[in-house]
Amino acid sequence: MIPAVAPPPPAPPVVSAALTETQVQVNSGFRGARIVLYGAVFDPLNRPSDVVVLVRGPEQPVRIARKTRIVGLWVNSRPVVFQGAPGFYIAASTRPLDEIARFGELRRLGAGVDHLAINAPAEQRTETRYGVRDVVVSRLGGDYLDWRRAVVRLKEKAGLYAAEEHGVRFVDRGLFRAEIALPAEAPIGQYQARIVLFQNGQPVSEKVRTLTVAKVGAERGLYLWAHRRPWSYGLAAMAFALGAGWAASRAFRRD
Amino acid sequence: MDIYLPIAEVSVNAPLLVALGALVGFISGLFGIGGGFLMTPVLVFLGIPPAVAVASMANHVAASSMSSVISYSRRRLVDFRMGGVLAGGGVVGAIVGVELFRWLRLLGQADLVVALSYLIFLGIIGGLMLWESLGAIPRRRRGEPPPARRDRRPPWLYGLPLKMRFPSSRLFISVIPPILLGAFVGVLSAIMGVGGGFILVPAMIYILRMPASVVVGTSLFQIIVTTALTGVLQAGRNQTVDIVLATLLLAGGVLGAQLGARASSRFRAEELRAVLALIVLVVGLRMGLGLFVRPDEPFVLMSGLGG
Repeated sequence: MIPAVAPPPPAPPVVSAALTETQVQVNSGFRGARIVLYGAVFDPLNRPSDVVVLVRGPEQPVRIARKTRIVGLWVNSRPVVFQGAPGFYIAASTRPLDEIARFGELRRLGAGVDHLAINAPAEQRTETRYGVRDVVVSRLGGDYLDWRRAVVRLKEKAGLYAAEEHGVRFVDRGLFRAEIALPAEAPIGQYQARIVLFQNGQPVSEKVRTLTVAKVGAERGLYLWAHRRPWSYGLAAMAFALGAGWAASRAFRRD
Repeated sequence: MDIYLPIAEVSVNAPLLVALGALVGFISGLFGIGGGFLMTPVLVFLGIPPAVAVASMANHVAASSMSSVISYSRRRLVDFRMGGVLAGGGVVGAIVGVELFRWLRLLGQADLVVALSYLIFLGIIGGLMLWESLGAIPRRRRGEPPPARRDRRPPWLYGLPLKMRFPSSRLFISVIPPILLGAFVGVLSAIMGVGGGFILVPAMIYILRMPASVVVGTSLFQIIVTTALTGVLQAGRNQTVDIVLATLLLAGGVLGAQLGARASSRFRAEELRAVLALIVLVVGLRMGLGLFVRPDEPFVLMSGLGG
């Protein structure tokens, strides 16, 4: 006889997702890429769900300066270094983020450009870096927010940061789709896509997918050569240039 | 047809760059100048990172100077001894210039120094050339002979020690002024991404008093040596030379330069000089103007952390 069991409690809601491409190849024809992400929400109780997709590129410290007027000329201030800034960041969601969850929840997840953990390290201090004295690496007092907003604004202008408030769409019951536009300027490296399911303002399920942006072919060869053996690259590049100049003068020789 | 530049890490329109190279090459052939002062600002305007534009131009200028110096040397219009002395100064200048540029980038002041250099040097040279050629054109129209060249040799040039004989230029002068001149142009080539012909040529005529016939060939020789070193140093120290970019510009540049050189015989020298002076002046003012206008965006991102 089959022992009687209590009906199992309803399974917790789960989100699942996949990228249509996990490898973006940067070759000589690279003009940016569009990555499509598909996913599904499995929730037996069909509670109202929101999906947030956060794509982060490799970390790139940001150096930013503010123009100030000195004797009639607009001159850069000392550059400020912000740590923890991703080289690429996109927050796509089914609704504006502030309608999906509260400030604290978004901050904890680092969801949205306003909640990125970008900071000039906590205390005001100056360091000597690369032999240059007095590079400010600091919290900037009252102006701090201006600086931080400027980082986000300039990155957004370059197409490297974006908030797409309706970037995730449910295409069928439980099935959603998002598109991520990578500009040609997007940095090379490992990208991480976090797909977070929100219900009732709480993150209830999360998946992480990775994406690699890599140079391939001649681009990769030249890049690696220029960065790993810069002197031999420099010599070869110059020898090539001089040879090309010499060949051109032969080709156009008139006498 | 877009092409992705591996070092600049941006995608650019290849035919546009070849056409730009051809246009600048045409101008450089027409006026007998390198054209770096035109090309570097346009590249920056097209969205190429300034450090990459400046460094890759060294390769481009070396190649285009190479293509024209050969015909000058075949006609014995290069003073190799003077060129060697200038280049000796240029080597020191290039090394100093590359390090200076690296340091300025770390300070965040590279843009300022580049803009100021363009404003000051192009402004002065363009202004002087325009003044001189605007004086010459009406004189020629009235059929007057050009004013006799004052051949008073500046005494300070002849009072200096370390004299050397330069047979091709028919000069017996101290090597100190050419070395200093070469060094100065070497620094500029590293900072501005130019060959420096627009400064070398007038300086060789008016300060060193070299015969006009050997000036262009000799300045090209010095420019090759200096920019070849600058290009290698920029690649080695800063990893900013994009050979794909330099090659694209070169492809158009050589063709344009040949066409320009052929076209130049159809115009009068003073009129050509007046047009060149205007171009130089406009580029200098355009580059410098930004320093005086309140920027729309007060913040700027600096590329690269390590220089």
